Amino acid sequence: MGKLRITLRLLVVLPLSILMSRCVSNEKSVPQAKKGKLDTPLLTLTSNEKQKLSDYGFFKGKLANLEPNDRVFPYTLNTPLFSNYALKKRFIYLPNGKTMTYKSEDVFSFDEGTVLIKNFYYPEDLREKTSSKNIIETRLLIKEPKGWKALNYVWDENQEDARINYIGKQTRVSWIHSDGFKKTAVYNVPNNNQCKNCHLNGKEITPIGPTAAQLNRKYVALSERLKQLEFFNESNLLKDFPEHGQLPKFAQWDLADSGNLEERAKAYLDINCAHCHQPQGSAKNSGLDLRFSQKDLRKRGVFKPPIAAGKGSGDLQYSIVPGQAEKSILLYRMSNNDPGVMMPEVGRSMVHQEGVDLIASYIENLKVESSSDIKNP
Amino acid sequence: MKKFLWLLLFALIVLVIVYIPASMPEYNPPRDYIDLEEEILEAFILAKDSSTIQLPEGHFLFSQSLSLDGKKHLTIKGMGMDKTILSFKGQQQGAEGIKITNSENIILEDFAIEDAAGDNLKISDTDTLTIRRIRSAWTGKVSTENGAYGIYPVLSTQVLIENCEAIGSSDAGIYVGQSQHVIIRNNKAFYNVAGIESENSSHVEIYNNQAYENTSGLLIFNLPGLTVFGNDVKAYNNKVYNNNLKNFGVKGSIVSAVPKGTGVIIMATQNVDFYQNTIKNHKTSNLSVVSYVLFAADQDPEASSLSAAAEAQGIRGINSNFEQDKAYNAYPGNIYIHDNTFYNNRALPTLSNDFGKLWFFKNGASIPDIAYDGILPKGTKLQDPELKICIQNNGDASFAYLDAEHDFEAFSNDLKPFDCSIK
Repeated sequence: MGKLRITLRLLVVLPLSILMSRCVSNEKSVPQAKKGKLDTPLLTLTSNEKQKLSDYGFFKGKLANLEPNDRVFPYTLNTPLFSNYALKKRFIYLPNGKTMTYKSEDVFSFDEGTVLIKNFYYPEDLREKTSSKNIIETRLLIKEPKGWKALNYVWDENQEDARINYIGKQTRVSWIHSDGFKKTAVYNVPNNNQCKNCHLNGKEITPIGPTAAQLNRKYVALSERLKQLEFFNESNLLKDFPEHGQLPKFAQWDLADSGNLEERAKAYLDINCAHCHQPQGSAKNSGLDLRFSQKDLRKRGVFKPPIAAGKGSGDLQYSIVPGQAEKSILLYRMSNNDPGVMMPEVGRSMVHQEGVDLIASYIENLKVESSSDIKNP
Repeated sequence: MKKFLWLLLFALIVLVIVYIPASMPEYNPPRDYIDLEEEILEAFILAKDSSTIQLPEGHFLFSQSLSLDGKKHLTIKGMGMDKTILSFKGQQQGAEGIKITNSENIILEDFAIEDAAGDNLKISDTDTLTIRRIRSAWTGKVSTENGAYGIYPVLSTQVLIENCEAIGSSDAGIYVGQSQHVIIRNNKAFYNVAGIESENSSHVEIYNNQAYENTSGLLIFNLPGLTVFGNDVKAYNNKVYNNNLKNFGVKGSIVSAVPKGTGVIIMATQNVDFYQNTIKNHKTSNLSVVSYVLFAADQDPEASSLSAAAEAQGIRGINSNFEQDKAYNAYPGNIYIHDNTFYNNRALPTLSNDFGKLWFFKNGASIPDIAYDGILPKGTKLQDPELKICIQNNGDASFAYLDAEHDFEAFSNDLKPFDCSIK
């Protein structure tokens, strides 16, 4: 009896100990480092950038209230990028006499001096948007003669002002989630080079959000009466606005009335993935093109084998298998948090469950008329 | 009976030779880490064009990559490769140690880069680049867990790599990929899978380097499926010796298919002048000239998925569909091997790979100094002008022509057909 027990124990303990020793050896050991001090600074900072967000004068009154000054216009998008559930307040500053120019497909073009302002914040309680908020960072895209420049300002703990940040910052955030439970996350403020990860198109920095399809909606903070595009047009801030005809419009990913499942899913994939997954983006080598305008299903991932996914493929064959979400690499990577697997690569440290659910039901309901045509183009 | 005992003894010896796990070398410099991460990261990100960043002495530890993008005329200098150490041990963000992109006129000198999760130093799309007295190393016991490339300029032009050291890369120590006008000189590479590798690069000069105790010493490769192909390589005055280290490359990577004990491999490259080098003491062969066909044929069925996985990490894998790449020439040609010194203290070839076994059966169990696979494109014959291999004035170097295409039917040690001084 005793012998049997020992054998049994061995049977349990041995594989366990092998497993444990493997886990330990796989873990990265981070050595200790004591804080050093420089005798002379490595570079003399001769920055002519504004050091504080308040220096720009975008907002009046208490800065954290984000009450826009003249020529600073709030705007919103139909379907935004997921950033660890942070909410965003967006503004556009157009200097006197400067305008933006309508484009039907691409991002609008903007006159020199334009600043796109994006504030990332968490309300105390996601269910009450008016509850007191904690602003983490304010990102600026500034249109200079040579092109766009990206700058980032990180807010002080006391929420009085935000200071310029080049090197990024890791911070912890928490809020009451829509389900009533408290959520916490590691929030990575990007460093200046990381901004380019998403905003580089070819070799140029470009904005991502302000397209006709994204702006085509009403936003009470801008106008009680008019849709955003009409407001900008009537205020003479938008050139080349087509007075007649159908304007492109993205569905709101989380609003069932705004579009059918496919429209909402494609809008979600466009804003969350297509800045890299398009022919000019940094993930062009993947061959995946998730722009809303892409109609070729194979380029959209249907029965498309991975090119350079490595362990990111999770041993699955195709980006999207219609009707089989669990066999689709795209969903696998959206549902993952491992830095070597997760998509998008930057901008989130947690899974966007609601987004995953949307894309899962899109794939489950996706019907392909002749799969063999797609498999063998 | 006695004969049987001898046979048994022989079998035992063979078993022991084959199965004793090779002990891997170690590199364990003493380290005392200092945290200046924010200060140094800031210097990289905010560095002004036409300036110099002088890094102090010390062992600095980083949790993330250091990156430069779009800089011009920038010098980053340390106090010496033994004094200024940038360590990325256990890094949490980014794969590279230092990553430089879209820049011009960059000089990096006098520091060491250690233990990055991926490549220690990766530079892409950069014009005019000097890497001088830089050491790339992975510390501890040499392992597959080590990062892939040590010093890795890719898609760049006017590249000079000199007086550098590369230690412990699980792919190539000094690796120049898809670049033009490259000089690799006075460097040392050891404990890597491949010591020094020129891949799909052209107008390359490789001289006065030492490559030793790697799996393979020096690779001159041209691979299919890329936008840029390589040719016109000169390699001279290099010392390549004792590259017999067990292959610890990531499965699916091209170098994981390189047999240990190979001094120099010239693969699928056109116009190579290889002279005045000293190549010694390799278990498989001192110098091989091969086509890509040999590599593609040698892979196991799993390799294509493995190589896709390797590609994902930026590691070059094997492409079995190379014939679809019309712009690619899979065969070496216009190769001139002359005035080199060959020597081998290894009495018997290794049995750990097909070449070693081939030498046992076809070459009287002796290791040839120079081997040529003899695989030719369809409709051509040996020594057609564009396929010419000239081998002369290499002392008493031994030679093997494999005729690998025809099951080694015409296997031969006769150098005469390859001595281009004979009319």
